[in-house]
Amino acid sequence: MATPSELQVHLGRLAVILWNYGASFPIPTLDSYQDTGNLGFSFAADLAGSDSPGPAIIKLSEIWAPRGSPDQFGRTEYEYDFVEHPLNRRRAFHLSDPDFYPQEFGVLVHEHCEETIGAPTCGHYYGLPVTAYEAIDRFTSLWGRPGPLGCASLRCM
Amino acid sequence: MHEKQFLSPADVAMKLDISTATVLRMIHAGALPAIHVSERIYRIPSASFEMYKAGTLRTGGPAPRRRVKQQPRLGKGEALPEPHGDSVAIAR
Repeated sequence: MATPSELQVHLGRLAVILWNYGASFPIPTLDSYQDTGNLGFSFAADLAGSDSPGPAIIKLSEIWAPRGSPDQFGRTEYEYDFVEHPLNRRRAFHLSDPDFYPQEFGVLVHEHCEETIGAPTCGHYYGLPVTAYEAIDRFTSLWGRPGPLGCASLRCM
Repeated sequence: MHEKQFLSPADVAMKLDISTATVLRMIHAGALPAIHVSERIYRIPSASFEMYKAGTLRTGGPAPRRRVKQQPRLGKGEALPEPHGDSVAIAR
């Protein structure tokens, strides 16, 4: 649970972490969605280093919905993606389509893992909920290190 | 000459003429951004080291707010997995 002010600080902290790794991206904003009353953000950061055939990218998106009081919001959806074009691979942690996954698979979250972009063994994997900070840690620990992502150890949906 | 993308704590220690232990203390104190690769291994992005030297590392602050008409749909463009009928077993 967080207030809008706390979410602004949360987003600011995420941006600082990525900026201080040398990433480049426009200043992200905490958006108030007029159609739903939710709050959220979405931005993609190009990481420093090789940019051939494209840069490594971390994309962070979150949706927060009112919970109980109008000033308290809970995270209801997220997408944290790491697409490392120089090594042609992808890792992602998602909580999206919250009506579909619990009903069909008994879980809210799923993951993606592509040792080669566009050629995953499974389209979706079971996973565990993560925070954006944990996702950044997981992504940056992989960043620029050739070798398997470990997709083979995950369980297919 | 090709610049290394990441530096080890020992690399940074050599460049700053300080001990590796001091570099690790800087990392633990949050003064030098570093990537935690595993239990005892850190890497410092070269870009972070350059910002540290230049004194241009950023500090936190609240992100700005704005009003947006429509909430984006997360998962858009992503095919959903085929249900395989064992959700009851998974949920137990």
